Formats: sequence, structure tokens, C-alpha cells
Amino acid sequence: MSFAASLDFTWIALAPLITLLLTAAFGLFAALWGFGSRPAAGISLIGLVTAGVFTFILFQNERHGVAGSGFGLNYLVDLPATAFHFVIIVGAILAVLISYDYLERAGLEHTEYYPLMILASVGAMVMAAAGDLITLVLGLEIASLAVYVLTAWRQGARESEEAGMKYFLLGAFSSAFLIYGVALLYGATGSFTLPGIAAGAADPQLGTALLAGLGGLMVLGGLAFKASMAPFHQWAPDAYTGAPTSVTAFMSVVIKVGAIAALLRVAATFLPELSPLVTELLVWIVALTMIVGNLAALAQRGVKRMLAYSAVAHAGYLGLAVLAVDGGGMRAAAFYLMAYALMNAGAFAVLILMSDRFDHGDDLERFAGLSRSRPGLAAAMAIFMLSLAGIPPLAGFAGKVLVFGAALESGYFILAVIGILTSVVAVFYYFRVIAFMYFREPEYAAPSYRSATTGWAVGIAAVGTVLFGLFPGWWYGLLEVGAQIVAGR
Amino acid sequence: MVATEYYVALSAILFSVGAVGFLTRRSAIMIFLCVELMLNAANLALVAFARQWSSAGVATAMNGQTAVFIILAIAAAEVAIGLGILVAIFRHRASTNVDTLSEVRF
Repeated sequence: MSFAASLDFTWIALAPLITLLLTAAFGLFAALWGFGSRPAAGISLIGLVTAGVFTFILFQNERHGVAGSGFGLNYLVDLPATAFHFVIIVGAILAVLISYDYLERAGLEHTEYYPLMILASVGAMVMAAAGDLITLVLGLEIASLAVYVLTAWRQGARESEEAGMKYFLLGAFSSAFLIYGVALLYGATGSFTLPGIAAGAADPQLGTALLAGLGGLMVLGGLAFKASMAPFHQWAPDAYTGAPTSVTAFMSVVIKVGAIAALLRVAATFLPELSPLVTELLVWIVALTMIVGNLAALAQRGVKRMLAYSAVAHAGYLGLAVLAVDGGGMRAAAFYLMAYALMNAGAFAVLILMSDRFDHGDDLERFAGLSRSRPGLAAAMAIFMLSLAGIPPLAGFAGKVLVFGAALESGYFILAVIGILTSVVAVFYYFRVIAFMYFREPEYAAPSYRSATTGWAVGIAAVGTVLFGLFPGWWYGLLEVGAQIVAGR
Repeated sequence: MVATEYYVALSAILFSVGAVGFLTRRSAIMIFLCVELMLNAANLALVAFARQWSSAGVATAMNGQTAVFIILAIAAAEVAIGLGILVAIFRHRASTNVDTLSEVRF
């Protein structure tokens, strides 16, 4: 990268990000001028939709072969990046809708909430588009710092504060490993760009191979932490359970998209070049994540915590796509993440309508008899549970088929078998919720809370889950064109 | 000129001290400091490697030096957020001992 190339500002490539940054700034100014957080929600929605339109234009450009990039390939606007941006924007829109009435009811209306959510989305989008490791680290920190604050949003509530502190401390620890890994990779190859590191690692000299291998392990560990993969997943159940439910819905979708997108890009370029040990380790991480996530979810009585462990399990299935990145894993992951964003945000939205203003009352018993008291809500929850379990013809099923197919194509037979077996285990705990809703007599008074915007979020997510399941080609077909995963390779 | 290996060894030692401190210290403030130590170990490694690559005549060697500034900024932002959360949490508690943060369990 020469100096001239580093001054290559391509504003159109950055249009979605700039839109979102302006949105966040407007939201903060609304706070200064004393407008409160309700207009900020509207501004955020407008900003997100505008960014979505820009992303769609860039996506279409890319499909017609006009590749975009900025800052000399350090910020890539290729097909995977725009596809992941789209998923992030969908997840953020759902999260804003979920938050709107929830915040008022829970007494958490501070104006900074929506700007922080938008900034976290920007960070995740930068991660998905990063063409070099410093950009990647920056995006990861932008996303993480905003989400740490959101996790601890419920001041005075011990669970939330504890979740925020744990997430922050462990997150800072893991990003220190990531940054040290980046430094070691730079020492081994003299480059921060993904193709540069791949090229530098391809002809190793004595001594640099050790640095490169160690650096690769550290980068892998740091990113696996953010994607909540076992054994780096311990923070996830606590942070997801303790955070306000709207924040849980947001971070279980948006941060995961960013982390998985970054892992995919790293795995597509330099990770296999460093050392066979690194790929081997990723295989073990993925297998462990699928097993631990599903078995731990099986043991939970609280639905929120069960969904937290199910998020870990889904990180495992996405890890399969990361391993199979050369065999169509990128497309499979983009589809899976879209399905996951819809069904997971939808399930958390239902949880908000079920629980009280302190997020309590998410036990399985509370769901008993829901099909009689709130048939619509029960039907939506049943759709989300069936889709998360991977039952046809819903979106989760199509996603699992694509991911397992990609894994088999790349020769990860045993991992695919583990994935299918753990999916069978998963069916059990997802169906338990459905069984409580439909086949149990109610034990508690029916939940009476209603909210129009959260209802909208549930509706959009449910319709999306069904449509993406019935017509997976809509989204998957669009991802077909760009064969090049990363420019320069 | 001092060989790069010494700088890298020092940075590795600093990083390990930070990591061990993170795992063994109980006060949240000390844990912060340990994370800072780890980040600065990475900075030291980056500067040392940048010097090595520039003496080897690599055109992009200064990237390592600029990366240090970015990481310094990240570290500062992280401290601001971390201390903010810390103050919010421990305002109502007597100590900054992280062992008191164990309410959420199975």
C-alpha cells in the first residue's frame, strides 16, 4: 500500500457508515437539546433505513461487477461485506422496534441508548468490511465499547451491572489477546492487510513461522470470544441474561454478525496459511461450541438463559461455515445469519411481551397455557422455536441445510455429523417451550402487557422467518455472483 | 542497535505479567491496569517490529508505528468506558472486589 493508495477516500463506499454516524450524532444532539429518547428512536429508524438503501445500491453495484473499496483495500465493499451489512441493518431495525416501548416501561429511557446502538452497528459493519487487521480491531472496539455500556444499562439492578462488568473485563482481556496477535502477525509478515499477511506467511523463514502461528492463535481466540464460541463463551450466558432484554436481542444478533464476518474473512485469507495447528484448533472450537451450547441449553429453566446458550450453539453452526469458507461457507453463513437475526430477535421480542418490567418471569412455567390466553403470541413463539430448532419449512432449516452442505463439501464429515446430532438435542429444548405453551394448563395469570412496536417486530420477524424458509432462493440467489471473497486473492 | 528479539522478549514478558495479573488480581482497578499492561506490550512489539521492517527496507514499515497510535486511542477509550461502568456499579458497594459480582448463576 503506497501513500497515494492510502488517501483513496471512496465516499460512496462509506455512505452507509456515514449515514449511521450522522444518525448517531443527531440522536446525541437531540439529547443535548432536551428532546428525550423517543425522537431518537425515530431518527435511528430513518437513518437505518437510509443506510439500508445505500447498502442495497452498493450490493447491486457489486453484483454487476463494480467492486468498491476505500482507503486502499483497507475497507472492502464486496459482496460478503454488503450482504453482512444488510443483515446487521435488519437486526438493528428490529432491535430499535423492540426497544421503543420496552425502555419506557422499564424506566430506562436515556437518550444515549439509540445512538449507542447505532454506533455498535457501525462497529459491526466495519468488522464485516475490514480489509486489514487494524481496521478489524477498530471495528471490534467500536462495537464492543458501545455494547458494554448498553449491557450495564439497567442501573441499580445487580444482574445488569454484573453482566456489564463481566462482559467488559473479559472483553478487554480478549481484545488484548487479539491486538497482541495482530502485533505478532505484523512482526512475522510486515503487513496488516489480509492478503499481505497471507502472502507473507506463505514463504516462511525460520523463526517467523513461530510468530505467525502464535499470532494466528491469538487472533482466532479473540474473534472466537466475540462470536461466543466455546471455550471462550463463558461471558455470553451471564451477559445475555443480565442485560436488558432489548439489548440482548441486539447484541446476540449484531455483534455475532460482525464477529462471524470477520472470522470468515480471516479464514478465507491467511488463517490456513499460518500453521495447520490453527485450523486444527478451529475444528476443535467449533465441535466444542456445538456440543457445549446445546447441552447447557438443555439444562436451563429460564427461557432467556436457554436462548443465551442457544446463541452459543448457533455460533457453533456458523463456525462450520467458517471452516467451509472455500466450499460456499460465505454464502451459507450470510443466509444463516439473516435467518438467525430474524428468528432470534423475534424470540427475544416475545420474551419482552411475556416478562415484567424488570425482565423477570421468563421461566418455562410462565409459558404454560399461552396458546389460550395469547394465541397470536404463542403462534409466533412456536414459529421462532421451530425455526431455531431447524424444522422445515422455516428459515432456520434452510440455513442449517446450507451450512451442513458446505461443511460436507469441504470434507468436514465428522463435524457435520456432530452438528446434526446436536441439532437433534436442540429440538428437545426448543420443543419444551412449545409443549408448555400448547399442552399445559396455565399456572400464572396470563401476561397482559401489549406494545404496538414490539408487536410489529414480532410480526416482521415471524413473516420473515416463514418467507425465507419457503423461498430461500430470494436471499441465497442474490449472493451467487461475487466469486472473489476478498479482493487481492 | 539493540536486536529486535530483546524488545519482543520484553514485550512478551510484559504481556504475560498482565495476563497473570488479570487472572489473579481481585480488585477491578488492578484488573484494568493489567489489561493496559497487555495493550502496551502489544504497542512495544509493534514499534520494535516497525523498526525492524524499516531497517529491512520494507515500504509499509511505518504502518506499525501508526497502528500504535490507534491502539493507544483504543486503550484510552476502553479505560473511559471501564471506569464509567466501575463507578456506576461500585457507587453503592463498599469495595471494588470483583468476587462480589456473582449473582447471575445457573
